[in-house]
Amino acid sequence: MLIDINAYVGNWPFQQMKYNTCELLLDRMNKFGVDISVISNLNGIFYKNTQSANEELHQEIRSARKFSDRFIPFAVINPIYAGWRDDLETSVKKMGMRGVRIYPKYHDFGITDPACIELVKRVRDYGLPVAFEYRMVDSRQRSWMDIDYVVGTTKREWNLKDILPIVKAVPDAKYMILNYANAAVLTPDEMNLVKTADLIFDTSGRTITNMSEFLKLYGTNKFAFGTHSPILDYLTGQLRIESLQPSEADERVKEQLRSGNAKKMLGLS
Amino acid sequence: MSELSRRKFIAGTAVSAGSLALSGGLMAFKEPQHLHPTSDTDTPRAKYDIMQDVAKYRKLDSHVHVNLASTDAEVQKKYAESLIDYSRRLQVQKLVLSNPVTRLINGVPDGSPEAFIRNNNIVLAVMKLYPEVLTGSFTFNPVHAKESMDEIKRCVDQGMTNAKVYYQTKINDPSYYPIVEKMIDLKMIIHCHAEVQIGVGGYRMKYNGFKPKNVSIPEDFVDIAKRYPEAMFQYAHIGGGGDWEYMCKALKNSPNVYVDTSGSNNEEHLVDFAVAHLGEDRVLFGSDNCYYQSVGKILASNLTETQKRKIFFENFNNILRKGGRNVD
Amino acid sequence: MSLAGLIVSGPVLDATEFGGHSGFMPASARPYDLMKDVMKYRKIDSHVHSDLYDGPPENNIAFMDRLGIEKMFISRPVTSGEGTPKDFRHYNDLTLKAMKKFPGRLTGQFTVNVPYQKESLEEIQRRVDQGMVGLKVYTQVKINDPLFYPIIEKMISLKMIIHMHSHCQLGLGGYRMKYDTGIRPNTSIPEDFADIAKRYPEAMFQYAHIGGGGDYEYACKMFTHLPNIYVDTSGSNNPEGMVDFAVKQLGEERVFFGSDNCYYQSVGKILASELTESQRKKVFFENYNKILEKSGNSIK
Ligand SMILES: [Zn+2]
Ligand SMILES: [Zn+2]
Repeated sequence: MLIDINAYVGNWPFQQMKYNTCELLLDRMNKFGVDISVISNLNGIFYKNTQSANEELHQEIRSARKFSDRFIPFAVINPIYAGWRDDLETSVKKMGMRGVRIYPKYHDFGITDPACIELVKRVRDYGLPVAFEYRMVDSRQRSWMDIDYVVGTTKREWNLKDILPIVKAVPDAKYMILNYANAAVLTPDEMNLVKTADLIFDTSGRTITNMSEFLKLYGTNKFAFGTHSPILDYLTGQLRIESLQPSEADERVKEQLRSGNAKKMLGLS
Repeated sequence: MSELSRRKFIAGTAVSAGSLALSGGLMAFKEPQHLHPTSDTDTPRAKYDIMQDVAKYRKLDSHVHVNLASTDAEVQKKYAESLIDYSRRLQVQKLVLSNPVTRLINGVPDGSPEAFIRNNNIVLAVMKLYPEVLTGSFTFNPVHAKESMDEIKRCVDQGMTNAKVYYQTKINDPSYYPIVEKMIDLKMIIHCHAEVQIGVGGYRMKYNGFKPKNVSIPEDFVDIAKRYPEAMFQYAHIGGGGDWEYMCKALKNSPNVYVDTSGSNNEEHLVDFAVAHLGEDRVLFGSDNCYYQSVGKILASNLTETQKRKIFFENFNNILRKGGRNVD
Repeated sequence: MSLAGLIVSGPVLDATEFGGHSGFMPASARPYDLMKDVMKYRKIDSHVHSDLYDGPPENNIAFMDRLGIEKMFISRPVTSGEGTPKDFRHYNDLTLKAMKKFPGRLTGQFTVNVPYQKESLEEIQRRVDQGMVGLKVYTQVKINDPLFYPIIEKMISLKMIIHMHSHCQLGLGGYRMKYDTGIRPNTSIPEDFADIAKRYPEAMFQYAHIGGGGDYEYACKMFTHLPNIYVDTSGSNNPEGMVDFAVKQLGEERVFFGSDNCYYQSVGKILASELTESQRKKVFFENYNKILEKSGNSIK
């Protein structure tokens, strides 16, 4: 079984997206053997009031039974915007959102801003995961209207060290760290934090140049299949898993990566 | 729960995410069977075997490097093993290696003849380790005209297939003219590093991309390609992080500029977009050592079988054929 | 005539390009009589000025006639200068003069400046005695400043609403000051209203002009659970969906019609909304009238 823990519907304002509705994504899933996708609405990154995006996603999933069979929705919440606590509650209790995606850079707050910590704690208390992205798109092709965290400048893109402070601040929450980009050398403390926390990476990110080495470094329980669709191509994340040699990962480990670790994170088993 | 999924649930073959979400973690999670549709209206899910799809195509990697960070023979030998591992894992029959001088000295690219000769020697040595799989491109810096010409001759004599240049000098700089003419004689392609990022290489310089000033951008390729319509240019890595829509649109009317799909970025639709704008004959498979993405982005595209074969192999092989260096 | 019909009638294009109907008949929209819709609703303008943006009260009256606005609650807050008692008395005099000129159509809201505590309290009483209804204040002091406490207590006893200028913009009045705009630092922001409304649940506050250029989604979301904060829909902005959003977040009782002298938008944004007939009536007229009723000033 294959569970994609990193997919979206909705628009990216600076570039046309293909396969960015539930219908089109489902076609993609059917074509390439993906059973379930965790999805959020990209529009939530750009709407000031992110709840409108969550409502859109909810409506779209409700529009056909086949969608609710195959999609697990995550809400987008901005904890420095008025009414977010209500939004979180509504998303989880009324709309059945199974996790929350948080965008500190796009919504413009520090990752350990007290508001962010409070949000992560509230999601934790629901028993649900929070998801952070290293980045959404490569900053080198960014639009002039996009955020200005740019590779090679004084305000660089994020790496894992930029995300870990929130894990440290709320060590008992569940984390999905997505679209692995930009290598960083971790201190022993940071590595220990990654290993002890309930935390998984997805396989969509470009910095995973050799899956086998990443498994050795972090452990086979730390990765789950992800595509970063519709921004990234639908197969590279899968290829990282399936091209592992038997000597690098046996079927049991591959199943962990395809769905086992995701199920655990999502509370599906 | 709909009638349909209730039936499925009772039958115990599949439990939907929807019903899971409703019941929380209490319900046992059974796996849907791949070949069974989830509902009557739904298309059956393919049992997609990605590795079978990977194996289906011959591949010729038009943009791949030796270890760019080291001059140590042992390091290169070890790295060559990883290249061979890639070629076996993802069924790539031939790799055209290069080793352009990427080093910066106080922010300025090292453009010395010593540097490019040393770099070419590394490629020549690595090629010899696995001659059936590895071949190579030579690098140079055209501002050193004589040294560059000598180096091209030396490298071609030793079996290299084409040129690979970097950001020392813009591709349309007059210093390139004699070199381009030489490459026309050799019927070999000139593969040049390229970018499209705001604030780089003359593109919207009110933004500062903090890059060397001579990075080539599509306009530079258009310019030189127009001056030398008989020459062939390879615009490097449209997946290299830049704005690939811009690149493909800019290069549309330059029939002697090819692009390779390599780079760490594998945006959905990149390959389709390139073929839509440039045609199926001007797009070349390449990895730039980002192996998973390089193959994934082409398999995930909507290209036809014929188009996939062209991009993975035939297009670049046809280019190599002109200079008599084709793979088969 | 539909847009497609218009394009087809152009000289170059052939009708067959639009679906191949050789006998293409342009479709028409259902007739809609906007002015009839405008005149259908009784209206009280809860936020409008005289002798400020568009001159003397005659101009207010002209638009009242044009757009069927029955009554305006005009004010002349201290928008520039020091705001001494001499200033605010002068402005209130202007308002009173306008009222007297058009009795029954214009009613004044009085203004004060709370650092002049004693003078402000006296002014309130004096203006109420002259028939003015409701307080309108500006950016001199934040609405939740302790200087406002006695004023608010006075307004509670009068059972009148406190209408305060407000904003919700990055870098203004304490909201996300890394973007500091340097504009009027004491402008009241949604958080300030929330704060004072909790301290005085018996008081009534009117958060001015959600169409005034600020982030109306933010403001409305901030007030969801604060039943004593009302908003008026006035301002030069008329984003599609704003009125619907306000009613969805605050309920249909806490939203007032207001123009802030932007007359076309003020009516257009409500008519274009998805509100029901009864909701429109409430927003245009009844909600504010209910506030007036508490102090015995309602319109029959
Ligand atoms: Zn390269
Ligand atoms: Zn006003």
